[in-house]
Parts: sequence; structure tokens; C-alpha cells
Amino acid sequence: MITAQGLTKTYGQKTAVDGITFTVEPGRVTGFLGPNGAGKSTTMRMILGLDRPSAGSVTVNGHRYADSPAPLREVGALLEARALHPGRSARDHLRWLAVSNRIPAARVDEVLDLVGLDAVAGQRVGKFSLGMGQRLGIAVALLGDPPVVVLDEPVNGLDPEGIRWVRTLARQLAAEGRTVFVSSHLMSEMALTADHLVVIGRGTVLADCSMSEFIADHAASYVRVQSPQRGEVADLLRRQGLDVDVHDEELRVQGLDAAAIGELVGTSGLLLHELTLVRSSLEDAFMTLTADSVEYSAHEMAPTSAGIAR
Amino acid sequence: MTMTPTSQTVVLDPKSNVPGVRAPGFPDTLRAEWIKFWTVRSTFWSTAMLFVLGAGLTALVCALAAKDIASGAAGESAGSFVTWGMMIAQITAIVLGTLVATSEYGTGMIRATLSATPRRGAVLAAKALVISSTLFVVGTVTAFAGYFAGNWFLSREGVGLALSDDGVLRALFGSGLYMAGLGLFAAALGLLLRHTAAALSAVLALVFVVGNMAWLLPGTWGEWIAKAMPGNAGSGVATPVSFNPNLLGPWTGFAVFAGEVAVLLLVALVAFRRRDA
Repeated sequence: MITAQGLTKTYGQKTAVDGITFTVEPGRVTGFLGPNGAGKSTTMRMILGLDRPSAGSVTVNGHRYADSPAPLREVGALLEARALHPGRSARDHLRWLAVSNRIPAARVDEVLDLVGLDAVAGQRVGKFSLGMGQRLGIAVALLGDPPVVVLDEPVNGLDPEGIRWVRTLARQLAAEGRTVFVSSHLMSEMALTADHLVVIGRGTVLADCSMSEFIADHAASYVRVQSPQRGEVADLLRRQGLDVDVHDEELRVQGLDAAAIGELVGTSGLLLHELTLVRSSLEDAFMTLTADSVEYSAHEMAPTSAGIAR
Repeated sequence: MTMTPTSQTVVLDPKSNVPGVRAPGFPDTLRAEWIKFWTVRSTFWSTAMLFVLGAGLTALVCALAAKDIASGAAGESAGSFVTWGMMIAQITAIVLGTLVATSEYGTGMIRATLSATPRRGAVLAAKALVISSTLFVVGTVTAFAGYFAGNWFLSREGVGLALSDDGVLRALFGSGLYMAGLGLFAAALGLLLRHTAAALSAVLALVFVVGNMAWLLPGTWGEWIAKAMPGNAGSGVATPVSFNPNLLGPWTGFAVFAGEVAVLLLVALVAFRRRDA
């Protein structure tokens, strides 16, 4: 269990994390979602006691991280920046970490095998690809068999198979009753992994709810109805207490599913040209929610008058 | 990629612990730092360089200067030559000390270090023990090797020094002490500056350039500043007879140097505990 209370971090004039409060419960995957620069990594560093909060507090299992007698056996973390010396081998990196927290040496080979790095354990990590480095980071996180697992952008640099592996792993760890806190800037990834969501933007919590609530609240769906008798259809549906919006040639109807709308219109003898369930994607919902809080936004390129020579 | 199931100990309470596993303490932090120190290549190469430069250059210079020392043409005592190479070898001690601190920041390793051991005072103490004990042992061994090799050439010309001669044993162990002190000095400055190039230039400039320039300062106060510069104060203990007659006495000088190292370590500790990693 991770509990943040009014957690704040300021760097001079700039506020990176602005009084956020949330709880990460055990037994489920909690997604920590936000655009780049939203304060995710800063928050994770404060959880691990690496950065000192400017105000507020964050505790793991009821106490500060730094007060844990054996932190790696209580919280396993994958940090965004590769916290590795490029000249050290993967096994040696895990070995000193294990020794520092009195984790049995046998566990080193166990986690190397678990993340699939056993064959390259003796190689210097400077030669590792981004994906291999990421796997080693996950091995570090699992080294102490910790009840709390914090993963900062774990799928960065992984191939599709690796992404699926991390997803399965996170779900499995949660199923075992562990607290799993995973950050990402990809809504689509979170949608497949997380049970619960904490969304932040510009250092404040924008949403803290279950994934299904988030979908219900933010990913609105409607039934698109096209008919040559648009006005009559709209009146009919409105009389049934449905919410009908007129958009150009189409009607957007909320409150009833497509089949029921079709039957209603059909039994009234009106014509239908289209009847489609339209669901806005989670990605759209996330974009809408965080639109105002994106720190670095790109603008579309204006077409040059000369164009590109073809 | 196949996944082997992870173990079932989920509600693992680090206070009660897994059977047979106790809560970690300072000896574990120390062991971890020791493993970190010896599992990067720069440590082996730096210590090897220290030995080669320290012992090799002493032997070489003694071989070349033996005749002039015997004839009096050198104008220096044989005691100034038996640890000659250590003057150059100290550069590698400074490099090693600096890297112990700055390599953690250059690579982001510091986050792994402090998440494994959040007690920052313990981390600094362990690093200090690892670097100083290594440099003391390697420095002393190197000084002995250089003495035995160099003294062989000096003895051929009849100007050799016995181990029992005044200041010889003190200088050999003193070489180890001075290397250890320099390593700590560099590590402390490295921890403060968190940047290899910056810390390395600062220590080398302070010990070699500023230390020598300080002798040009006028008046008694200038002389005292020069005597108190870390390289000038600390190096006297590492040679039976110093080339520089103006240095403080060997142990007085080393006490001043040790005090400076202690103050710098303390400042580094305060900064290390306060700063974000």
C-alpha cells in the first residue's frame, strides 16, 4: 500500500507535483498515467525517498521508504533512468543489491532467469539494448520478492512480446496480492494492464478511479442514426426520453443501445440509413482530459506554399 | 519468453523476515560497496597504475640518480628518492577517489544505491572505508616495493637506506596513509561536485598547482597557507626526507591534512543528506 498525502515538489519557481493525494491498494494494478512532464517520475522518486517532498508526505506500508529496515525486500522499483553502471555485469549489479539487503545470493540467478537474461548475465550492461536494460531493471525490482512493486515506464524500449510479458507480469504480481504501481504515458497500454487509474497532469490529480469508471465517465459512446426522415426520428426518440443531438446529417443518440433504437424506429415505420454504435477511444478520453495540462505540445506543420517537389 | 512463477511470499514483513534472513546493517552496506568497487574495470586499472607508477618510477629514478647521490652532485639526500614514484602515483589515488563518488552520478547509479540503502550517512561511511582501506594497503605495498627496488640501486653505490633508518618505515606506511587521505579528499569533493571532470580538475589543481603557487605568497601568512595546502601538508609523511625543506613536520603536517579531509567529508555528508538524488 502506498499513500500520498498532499505530496508537493517544487524546483525554485516551478511546481512539478502540486499537492497530490492518492492511495495505491494491494491486489490490483494501479496505473499512473499522465503526459510527459506531468510529474510521474518526480512522484516515484519521492515514494522511494530519493527526492525530498517540498510539502506533504508519501508512505509505503504506513511508513516512509527510508525507514524500512530492508527496503528492497519491501518495495521493488524500476526507475525510469537506467540506474546502472555500464561497466558492470548484470549479475554483479544484482549481486551487490542483494548483499546490501541480505537477499540470498540464489535469488540473483532466479530473477535473471525470470526476466530471461540468464544467458547474458555476465555481459557488461553498457552493451545491453534498451529492452535488455529494461528487463534488468525489472529483475532489480523483483530481487527482494517485495510486496510492493513500483514500475516507472516499464514498457519503454520493449518489443511487442516484451510489452505483453510486462503486462502479464504486472497482472500476476497483483493477483498474488502485491501492490503494483505502474506509470505510463500510454493510455492504450494502461487500458490493458491497470485495474485502477490515477491520472495526473501538470502535477495535479485529474482522475483517481477504477478503469471501468474511467471508461464510463470519459469514453462516451452514442448511436449514430442516419435517416431521410431525420426530424421525425429525432422527435420519436426524444418522446422516449432519449438524449438526441443533431450533428449535420446525423443524429447522436444516447440512452439506449443500437438494437433497441432500430426496433423503435422500425415499428414506427420510419426509414433508417445507418445505425452505428460509436465509441470514443480511451486514448481520446485521455487526450481530452489532459489537453490543458500537456506541457510540451507539438503543433501541426503548416503546409508550405511551394509544397514538396514531386 | 517463458515465465516461471514467482514465489508466494507476498506479505513479506521485513521486520520479522524470511526464515534465515536478518535485517541488513552497516556490514552489509560495506560489503555491497566493496562489490561495487571491484566489479568495474577502472578500479583494477587505477590500482595497477598506482603500483606501476609508484614502484616503477621510484626504481627508475633511484637507478638513474644513484651515482649523483653518492657523489653529492644531486644535492639531495637519498631519503628523498626512495618514495619518489609516490609523488606521481598520487594522481591515480585521486582518480580512484573521485570516481567512487562521481561515477554514481554520471550513470544514475546513485538512485539504485540510495534505494537499496536509504541511510545516506551509512553509504558515505562505507564508501569512505572501501576507498581508504584499499588505498592504504595498495599505497603501502607500492611504497615497500618501490623502496626495495630503488634501494637496491642506491645500496650498490653505498648510499642505501635500511628499513630501521630514521623515517624510512614511517615514510612507507605514511605513503599508504597519504594515498588513503587523498582518496578520501577526492571522494568528498566528488560527492560535492557530482561531476567527474569538475571534481578531478579541482582536486588536481588544488594539490598540484595551487599547492605549489602558494609558496609564492608573501609574508608569514603566505608561508602558513602554503604549508597548510592539502598536498603540502599531507605529503611530508610519505617520504623519509622531503625535497622541500619548508614543509611542516611529517606528523604535524599529516594531522593538518587529516583535519582538512575530515572537514571536507563532513561538508560532503551534510550536502549528500540534503540533496535530491
